Amino acid sequence: MSVGFIDILQSLIDGILFGSIYALIGLGFTLIFGAMEKLNMAYAASSIGGAYVGLGLATLFSLPLFLVFLIGPVAAGLISILVYLVSFRLIPSTNHLGSLMASIGALFFIDEVIIHETQGSPLTFPELGIFAEAYFMFGDLGFRGDLIFIMIFGLISMGVIIYLLYYTRLGLATRAVSQQNVAARLCGIPIHTINISTFVLAGILGGFAGCMAAASVGVISPLLTIPITIKGLIAAVIGGLGSIRGAIIAGLMIGGVENFFLLVRGVNERDIYVFLLLFVFLVLRPNGLFGNEINRD
Amino acid sequence: MEYYFGILQNIGFHTLLGLSAYLLLLTGQLSMAQVGFFAIGAYASGILTVIYGINIFLALGVGALIASFFAFLVGFPALRIKGLMLVIATIAFSEIVRLYFFNLRWLVEKNGVEVGPDGAQGFREIRYFAANGWEPYHIVSFIWIVVILVLFALWWLDRVKAGSVLRAVGEDELAAQSSGINLTVVKVSAMTGGGFIAGIAGGLYAHSTTYVDHNSFTILLATFAVAYPILGGLKNVFGTLFAVIFIQGILIEGLRFLGDYRNLLFGLLIILVMNFYPKGLINIPLFNWSKLVKRRDI
Repeated sequence: MSVGFIDILQSLIDGILFGSIYALIGLGFTLIFGAMEKLNMAYAASSIGGAYVGLGLATLFSLPLFLVFLIGPVAAGLISILVYLVSFRLIPSTNHLGSLMASIGALFFIDEVIIHETQGSPLTFPELGIFAEAYFMFGDLGFRGDLIFIMIFGLISMGVIIYLLYYTRLGLATRAVSQQNVAARLCGIPIHTINISTFVLAGILGGFAGCMAAASVGVISPLLTIPITIKGLIAAVIGGLGSIRGAIIAGLMIGGVENFFLLVRGVNERDIYVFLLLFVFLVLRPNGLFGNEINRD
Repeated sequence: MEYYFGILQNIGFHTLLGLSAYLLLLTGQLSMAQVGFFAIGAYASGILTVIYGINIFLALGVGALIASFFAFLVGFPALRIKGLMLVIATIAFSEIVRLYFFNLRWLVEKNGVEVGPDGAQGFREIRYFAANGWEPYHIVSFIWIVVILVLFALWWLDRVKAGSVLRAVGEDELAAQSSGINLTVVKVSAMTGGGFIAGIAGGLYAHSTTYVDHNSFTILLATFAVAYPILGGLKNVFGTLFAVIFIQGILIEGLRFLGDYRNLLFGLLIILVMNFYPKGLINIPLFNWSKLVKRRDI
């Protein structure tokens, strides 16, 4: 099989555009890590769960389908609050393993609830309206409209989060909590409220990403959860845990690498190269692209 | 009877996997790579007995050595990263191994039949036990002899200096390093030992089920492997054994009448135990022998 230059360029573009979903999920992981120095492994599961709730409610009450994209993120935010309450609220903050395991438990619980409710079969997901039909040609290269929309949304949400974190009182409190938990509490910052608001923000983003992922593929299935979790985590790590622009850039990069190897090596071997990329970063640059040098545990 | 043998075998493999994760958790490393080593052990020893026709004991040993060699290789980059980053790195390692075996085709013709790993079709016909006239109870006893040996070895490890060194690293790396403990040696040898145990478990698994494919080695199994010692507690090896019997014996086999709902319980159980017993179920000694003895002289 001969692969032309234009094919490679096209697959890179498609991949980078699709990478915006990984970027959004990685953004959520990094946001929660930045606030609490903990990983919420159930994050991608709650995003997909939100998309399911949106789809379920919309079909149950025969609502217009675009409402899925509003209900989904809200539901994902609510699921995130539940995840916070069951896997982070009561476990001592020094016990990193405890909350990590509890959130893995939440990941499997959400996954199994979905499988139980849908009998494990994938459901068709509504497309993104006018964006799904749009297809821009630029010379020989094509750009999918819905993916461009997701990418623009990702960049906007990155801007909004940076604004919230660095220019509002809420962001000031969040950064205080992440830097010095005890001192922040002594200053009268309600740390659980702050943490919950981080979870809700991340959850809404994730719910949107979950809906977008399902809409761009056309189906939603519980099988999406684990790959999206892993790719999102890799995006967060390569970008440097806690770094917002890092997660976005790394997510796009992973999408590009993944689609490039899909073209060159086929679907069975594609993911191996993404994981190898992670290893290259962990060995050569353990703090990621934009991670700071503080000694994390 | 076959059914109970099946459960016993299953508990055996899961105990070995849990113990390999336990050894690493003692040094404070949460590794999701155990399932990768398990897969390497399974395929390596399967290939040795099926394609090269080697004796099972030798094949298990060599498979475990190959797995521990990969664990050794993983141990070095893992030194630079710890905690949550290690979790992600080891998840990626396990997935690389799984995808490698997903793509591995190595078919050899034996007696007119093609045998060996066949990509997505899996690795069929690992029939060493059946071909050599092993009865089911032979297989079960063999697995449990290995389990008991490993349990005993790890129990004994806690009673010698090496065990204290492992726990010292797990409690506080900085303090351990400043009292002259070589972190590199301790962490890499724990990783290698864990890889060896997981490799044996994989070899036993491949031979007693006679069939493995990439679906046997998912992240779910890696989670099970680390969940046992965490749920059981790191006080001693019996916590892991207790957690395996509880989950595999009672939760999965005993509650079959619940049907689908059973799968919900695993996630829920982890959440509940982590909330109410963050240090594991068996963290306090069940029987305080010293108290019984000392009561006399009050």
